[in-house]
Amino acid sequence: MVKTLVFGQIREDVIEENTLGVLNKLTEISGISEIIVALFGHQIKDEWITELGKHGASRVVSVKAPELEVYLSRPYVKAMLEVIEKTEPMLVIAAGTVYGEDLIPRLAVHHGVSCAQRINDISIVGDELHFHTPVRDDQAMKVNRIEGAIKFATSRAGAFFVNENPDGGSPNVESFDVTFSEEDMLVKHIEIKKAERTVNLKDAKIIVAGGRGVGGKEQFQIIRELAEILGGEIGATRACTDVHWIEETYEIGQTGQSVSPDIYIAAGISGAPQHVSGIKAKTLIAINTDEGAAIFNFADYGIVGDLHVILPILKQKLQG
Amino acid sequence: MKIIVFIEQIVSTQVKLQGVDYFDSTRVSEDDLVINPSSKNALEGALKLKDQLGAEVTAVCVRGLKPNKALREAIAMGCTDAIEIADENIYTDDPLLLAKVYVEALGKIGEFDLVFLGVEEQSTGSYAIGAMLSEKLGLPSVLYAEELEVIDSGYKVGHVLEGGRKIVAMPSKGVISCSDSQYFTPRYTSMRGILTAKRAEIPKWTAADLGLSSSVVGKEATSLIEVSFSNIVLEKESYIIKEGEPEEKVENLLAKLKEDEVKLGA
Ligand SMILES: Cc1cc2nc3c(=O)[nH]c(=O)nc-3n(C[C@H](O)[C@H](O)[C@H](O)COP(=O)(O)OP(=O)(O)OC[C@H]3O[C@@H](n4cnc5c(N)ncnc54)[C@H](O)[C@@H]3O)c2cc1C
Repeated sequence: MVKTLVFGQIREDVIEENTLGVLNKLTEISGISEIIVALFGHQIKDEWITELGKHGASRVVSVKAPELEVYLSRPYVKAMLEVIEKTEPMLVIAAGTVYGEDLIPRLAVHHGVSCAQRINDISIVGDELHFHTPVRDDQAMKVNRIEGAIKFATSRAGAFFVNENPDGGSPNVESFDVTFSEEDMLVKHIEIKKAERTVNLKDAKIIVAGGRGVGGKEQFQIIRELAEILGGEIGATRACTDVHWIEETYEIGQTGQSVSPDIYIAAGISGAPQHVSGIKAKTLIAINTDEGAAIFNFADYGIVGDLHVILPILKQKLQG
Repeated sequence: MKIIVFIEQIVSTQVKLQGVDYFDSTRVSEDDLVINPSSKNALEGALKLKDQLGAEVTAVCVRGLKPNKALREAIAMGCTDAIEIADENIYTDDPLLLAKVYVEALGKIGEFDLVFLGVEEQSTGSYAIGAMLSEKLGLPSVLYAEELEVIDSGYKVGHVLEGGRKIVAMPSKGVISCSDSQYFTPRYTSMRGILTAKRAEIPKWTAADLGLSSSVVGKEATSLIEVSFSNIVLEKESYIIKEGEPEEKVENLLAKLKEDEVKLGA
């Protein structure tokens, strides 16, 4: 039986969604015997523990300290290593967020093993854990196992479904103290610049999204016009919001908004995993000059061509 | 000031190899090999500090079929020098073993201030190497950096975060992994750089030169064991239009959407 420890991530004062997805996934695997969640912070809220319990956590181990107020590698690694020592899990897993991807490989190093990354499935074969990772733009699947008594993995963002009506129980809670030294705090938190979310794209039925291939702020006009004609919303990659071609609110993907439209038009977008992980579209249409762009591997329809030539023609034809 | 940049050479996306075949090195030629775009972001990070502070920048390449080609390009972009590490006793698909090689390479190089890497090792889709390396070195690190500013105590670094960007301060010695941001947008090679690169002598180190053997960094040493590797069979074929005048392409698309009863527009 596999005792599992999950890194409990908090985002904007609630349990981070992918972490709940990981919990849901673990409860579905027979052979996982106990789901423990490690929870760190300056304060630990009761709501978080209730939420974790609902989604399948049977035990919560928390560490409270001012040094753990925001994620920083050193203090979090230290606290997590102590939780591992206390709970002796066979599997340590985190949702593949920026923090999760930062933490897990570090923990693995301390245990002298490598780690599985961005998995979208776990299976138990005999008494082995198998980790499934899609690679090469989701065209191939690598299945790995990890040698050693303890295994480390991150999940792919958006890979696991979050149960909306969970019916789990209330977990056992224990807490302990960890002390930190100046050495642990060499990297210092300054601030988090939160992207302004003024438009909610979650319920949009049609999204016309532009990437770096759009080429500039003014050039985004064609994306806006097409979206308007189709009665949809606009979207963008982080490459575009980073240079302020378009407002941050339109960023789609792992660090932006998650969307699930009927139609997603991706123009001048290469198809990075962090972007496509935020899209669950019924139909994806890609326009890109590079025939080898990854986005075509995710697309249902596509045109290899210059978006500044293709989109105006499309607009004209749709107008009638 | 000395900066080491670990780069990776990959097969270009222009090479139309699907799925598992992409990883079959017998199918690619030297022309298909390029520097991992993510590694180029790391080179840019180091070169910006070279411009600003006069740092010495050494590019090191362990991963790739022809590391020498990647390293000449790195010098042509502006790196001071380069080191090739090539040995079939090094198993580069395990980030932990790669981190061990990097640690020994840094040991042999001697003094350094910063280590730059790309956020992603494209060939294995791994994001772990930066974290593993800094942990092995016991050095402070900032991963997924998007911008960097020199301050008195070291660097102020902004990094990618869900829902925005996080700003931290780090000391002047450490490890930084660089994202595909505006700040780290790679420069082109210069004419002068290309000439320097042509003449550059690039030392080649083996595992033995680093005091390593296949029992430490070879396939036999990996804890990450491949159980299977297979193509994902897609249920639906995608319809990608490559041929024709733009107007025809659009008409083709609209006709196909109609046929498939996909409604564009509300
Ligand atoms: C931890 C982390 C989280 C991230 N989160 C996100 C996220 O949430 N969302 C996100 O989007 N990114 C995210 N990123 C960044 C992501 O990795 C990519 O860098 C980004 O998505 C690339 O954007 P792009 O496709 O617009 O640009 P590029 O990758 O530069 O692609 C541009 C594309 O446009 C094509 N093109 C160029 N000119 C034309 C033309 N005239 N017509 C048609 N096509 C053209 C090119 O062929 C190319 O394929 C994240 C990165 C990290 C490290």
